[in-house]
Amino acid sequence: MIDQSTVLLFITVALASAVEATEALTILLAAGITRGWRSTFEGALLAIACLALIVLAVGTALIRYVPLYALRTVVGILLLIFGLQWLTKAILRQTGFKAAHDEHDIYDKEVAALSKEAGIRGRRDSLAFAVSFKGVLLEGMEVVMIVISFGLATKSGNQLETATLGAFLGVAVMTAAAAVIAKPLARVPENYMKLGVGDLLTTFGLFWMGEGVGVQWPLGDAFLPVLLAIIFLTTVGLIAYFRRVHKREMEAAA
Amino acid sequence: MSTYKTSSKIWKAVKGFFGFWKDFLVGDSPVLALGAVIILAVAYLLRSSAVLAPAVAVVLVLVLITFTVWQKTWKRRRLRP
Repeated sequence: MIDQSTVLLFITVALASAVEATEALTILLAAGITRGWRSTFEGALLAIACLALIVLAVGTALIRYVPLYALRTVVGILLLIFGLQWLTKAILRQTGFKAAHDEHDIYDKEVAALSKEAGIRGRRDSLAFAVSFKGVLLEGMEVVMIVISFGLATKSGNQLETATLGAFLGVAVMTAAAAVIAKPLARVPENYMKLGVGDLLTTFGLFWMGEGVGVQWPLGDAFLPVLLAIIFLTTVGLIAYFRRVHKREMEAAA
Repeated sequence: MSTYKTSSKIWKAVKGFFGFWKDFLVGDSPVLALGAVIILAVAYLLRSSAVLAPAVAVVLVLVLITFTVWQKTWKRRRLRP
């Protein structure tokens, strides 16, 4: 029987991976189209292999040597910080105080930078390889942190497979979308996804951090959806308020 | 000379490593990281109270989100000509 927190865990990791995949795929598309696909794919594959190794090595070591309460405290605070960062940025974008993440703009900049460099020498293009490797590794690191955190901090103590499956699903859906349209994934409602993931990460982070230090949540695990609803409603309230503030200022400035 | 070069490379690598993690965890919002640590400490201190600990932890997170958004919008409004 799949419990409620496992489903939430799966959705959170899949959404977080999809958001990061959107950013990584933009870099891959720019490198592949301007410099060729072979080295771009090689760089991306090597980065994915490195990320998988990190999950395996760090995950296994943490399960074996670190007690669950300590793991939950550390994982909880990390997730709480990540969640709050994603959430506040998404709120600022949603209210107009921060520019929306523009995949087209990032794509154009990458293409311009890559096109400036000298042409492809030989069969392998080291620039495409390096750009795709770095892009996938850096964007993937956040996903790795989330996979490890969610995989290890649950009550059973090991949901690494569920978290990894969630990550693969998120990345696979975005990759399939990018392959079909072969353009930057500008129409993905990235900010809405970031808002959702920010809410979920903040919820899980606070819950696990609390459990790690000995806080007894009312209703136990059933408090997770309640906590999610409280944070979500606060987010909606803040967006509505600061959107009005932004609109008022724009009108005053005009 | 070569020892100097090696130690400078090591120093650069160490700085790069910690810089990466600082960017990763703190980013451009040190208030959020500091706030999360404060919430952790408060939750730990109140852990014996079944009502107070969860209530205070939740309220502090909501206050932290609100304060950070307000602070960032205020900074942006101040920078506007």
